[in-house]
Amino acid sequence: MTDATPDTVAPDKAFVAERSRSSQIWNRFIGIVRLSPTAAVGLFIIGVFAVLAVLAPWIMPHDPVAAYTDRVLQAPSAEHWFGTDGNGMDVFSRVIYGARFGFGIAIPAVLLSLVIGVPVGLIAGYRGGMLDEVLMRFFDGLRVFPSIILALAVVAATGQSLINVVLVLGLLDAPVFARVVRAEVLALRSSNFVESAVAAGNPTWRILFVHLLPNAIQGAMAQTAVRAAWAVRISATLAFLGVGIQAPTPEWGAMIRQGAEFMVSGQWWVALYPGLALILMVFGLNLFGDGLRDLMDPRRRTAS
Amino acid sequence: MTAPVLNVRGLSKRFPVGGKRFVNAVNGVNLSIAPGETLGMVGESGSGKSTLGRVILRLTEPTEGSIEFNGHDITHIPIGKVRPLRRDMQMVFQDPWSALNPRMRIRDLIAEPIKLHMPLSRSERDDRTEALARRVNLSTSLLNRTPANLSGGQLQRVCIARAIATDPKLIVLDEPTSSLDLSVRAGILELLAEIRDETKAAMLFISHDLGTVRMISDRIAVLYLGEVVEQGRAEVLFESPAHPYTQALLSAHLPADPAIKVTRHVLEGEVPSPIALPSGCKFHTRCPVAIDRCRSDIPPTIEVPTGQQARCLRIPDGGNIIQRKEPA
Amino acid sequence: MTLLVVEDLHTHFISRDIDNRTRVAKALNGVSFSLDAGRILGIVGETGAGKSLTAQSVVGLLRPPAKVVAGSVKFEGRELTDMPQAELNKIRGAEIAMVVQNPRTSLDPLTRVGDQLVRLHQIHSRGSQADSRKRALEMMEAVGIPDPESRAKSWPHELSGGMAQRVLLAMSLMNAPKLLIADEPTTGLDVTVQAQILDLLRDLVARFNMATMIITHDLGVVAHFCDDIAVMFGGSIVETGPVAEVFAAPLHPYTRNLISATPERFQMGGAKALGGQPPDLFNLPPGCALQSRCAFATDTCRNPVPNIEVTPGHFALCHYAGKLDAEPAIEVRA
Repeated sequence: MTDATPDTVAPDKAFVAERSRSSQIWNRFIGIVRLSPTAAVGLFIIGVFAVLAVLAPWIMPHDPVAAYTDRVLQAPSAEHWFGTDGNGMDVFSRVIYGARFGFGIAIPAVLLSLVIGVPVGLIAGYRGGMLDEVLMRFFDGLRVFPSIILALAVVAATGQSLINVVLVLGLLDAPVFARVVRAEVLALRSSNFVESAVAAGNPTWRILFVHLLPNAIQGAMAQTAVRAAWAVRISATLAFLGVGIQAPTPEWGAMIRQGAEFMVSGQWWVALYPGLALILMVFGLNLFGDGLRDLMDPRRRTAS
Repeated sequence: MTAPVLNVRGLSKRFPVGGKRFVNAVNGVNLSIAPGETLGMVGESGSGKSTLGRVILRLTEPTEGSIEFNGHDITHIPIGKVRPLRRDMQMVFQDPWSALNPRMRIRDLIAEPIKLHMPLSRSERDDRTEALARRVNLSTSLLNRTPANLSGGQLQRVCIARAIATDPKLIVLDEPTSSLDLSVRAGILELLAEIRDETKAAMLFISHDLGTVRMISDRIAVLYLGEVVEQGRAEVLFESPAHPYTQALLSAHLPADPAIKVTRHVLEGEVPSPIALPSGCKFHTRCPVAIDRCRSDIPPTIEVPTGQQARCLRIPDGGNIIQRKEPA
Repeated sequence: MTLLVVEDLHTHFISRDIDNRTRVAKALNGVSFSLDAGRILGIVGETGAGKSLTAQSVVGLLRPPAKVVAGSVKFEGRELTDMPQAELNKIRGAEIAMVVQNPRTSLDPLTRVGDQLVRLHQIHSRGSQADSRKRALEMMEAVGIPDPESRAKSWPHELSGGMAQRVLLAMSLMNAPKLLIADEPTTGLDVTVQAQILDLLRDLVARFNMATMIITHDLGVVAHFCDDIAVMFGGSIVETGPVAEVFAAPLHPYTRNLISATPERFQMGGAKALGGQPPDLFNLPPGCALQSRCAFATDTCRNPVPNIEVTPGHFALCHYAGKLDAEPAIEVRA
């Protein structure tokens, strides 16, 4: 009938001193795996890509933009594990380097979405009324618009550049965060601690940013990984459509674009490997985002 | 006679609930509290006691009537002007777990009112925070923890420290001990009494529990369906309650001692809905001594020989005292 | 006649946290008591003492990570702790009935009240729908619900707190239980409604000769409606006995503090000796759980604590039960 855990008041300090640093880390890892296998797997995948992105210059066997004109469209071999593409560049190195774009686009885009979406969600949720209606309708409008078309239009108007892609993605995804934060604020705004804060004499901006924000941000945090996955996917799509990122930049979407032509003639490796990398990274981010919810809920304990 | 800290006249609060219907939470309440005095406000569900506390502090807007705080009429001043007043009028809420931001440290929670209202430097603020913690018997080692790590009693002490941080003239306490365990309540009440005696703050102590109210109040006001049905000095009210509702309330209270015999006046039925208030005397639907007139006439406030004021049509003819039944 | 015998019940919460440490909270530590037909036992204690958990352990309503790890619960001689769920289901709701806090949230919000009563009866009896309907109306009358015919058609959200509590009581009576467990039956109800419900409860116990266990934190309820009292702290029953005796002469330091904190006895200035940290169930000290906040604690208290019967039927779980220095008598304020 209830699975409530009893309250503990004093954290058991004695326990913590017993373990060495490395065993603490290992045990934290095991703890995460037990609590949410989904998050653990996702985290692992993201971790692998992060390592690739950071250590790229040292682990790439070849320069990603070095064109070996004598080895164009070679099948995978010992020298080129993923083969070479239409310009004679090593696909393996390009896939590794492409991880940088994945993170390089996703992270700023999500940050921008947060910076725009969260304050809007806070204000709309707290104030309600006309302000809420106007803001939310505007954001709904953004969501309804097919994002690809909008992105194409923006980039066509402002010119081909990575920055523009990031800006567009950031703006497009802000409504999601605004909605999530707004929902939490709606639930929280009549709670006792907010009333207590008002009774203490807090001005509205403090209520929003000091009191509501830390408590309403949880849902948004859980969304970040998922939205990052979306950003990666969309930017690859845009690059595939020839927007924003130009060849020979080793970005997965652009690589898939180039490789698509060769699929028909049998050189499958040019498009497949970047495609797999893309799928895997998006998958990992989604898994992690999914499992994050389980991890963040402090009441979740697995029975043993 | 010193000027009252709080003077409320004809205060009413209605909430719309769709269509033309209203929840009549508070209906024409008059009360006043002097400096250093504790007024206990007793009522059950539907009495409007919590709403009244909030309206007085302008946490929700009054529908009618006036609120005078420290001699100034604060009923209609804009919210921007109310905020600085909050330095002098504070509130302690019922549920300490939900009344504190779970993500802030205790230290910051206590210091917040100071930060908002008092121009002190960082170190002065820290000193004051620590002094406040000691004042409420809270170990200073807890200051850097978050609310999840403290017990109910400790959390309520934090709430009290927050409430007295700026030396307010009026403290409204909404069921401050109802969520706490028995063994902890007495300590909290004692602390409140000490603070009141030291600071001479006026306190409005709202509760449904007569036993608790008795321990700390100088005067008591009994609320039923948003009206004060009886008001007077605590001892007098407990010894010789005038209003039939007060009598029933007192008799329904179970003392924690099997040796004390209880004579129960068990009331029929339940509290009518505040949306559809009864006519005449609002208590007539459950009153064991009601007569026909009670359905149509609104009882005036009468001062009874023992000194308190009560609103009952039967006081003049002595019929307001419910005859004692056999002990239970 | 003794209907329920609980012996040395231990319930633990076993879990792993995010750092992969096994954490065991010892929520019940050797709880023993018995219930006789027609008598009302009041169980009191602070939050976390284990009152509700005891009830749940008795009727097998624990969910992971909570588990009964030792002890026995015998209902009419039958052992309940190892009984398969299918068999327990036959007993629960029929021979053993439970009424819980928050009556309004305990009712199915999507079913009319009368139908819920009938449903419960149908699960356990072989009678017809008509029989169940008849009984439902009878029980609603027995609990003092006015106009049962039309009330039976109400939805739970239409009921007030007091009315919902009466409905829950009616539900518990549908199958003529021998044992009734009421968990905080009057908490949250108005005092004037509380009085009605308690009178009703006592009347029903007498009429149906049920063995009854009331869990509450209100000492007033225990003082006037219970025959026996059991005081819980840190997962153990620290004192138990007839109500009149325990209130007049409490033996255990915790009980003494509890009673002295009531409005009827409290003298301002006496609060220093009361309250304190609730025990950390993950790290209980050896011996007595009250050690850290007991004025009489000594080194002996670190040893396993005996349950001493100081006068017939009056037990205290304390090394010094019956031997504590006479304090100034706990006076009742007139």
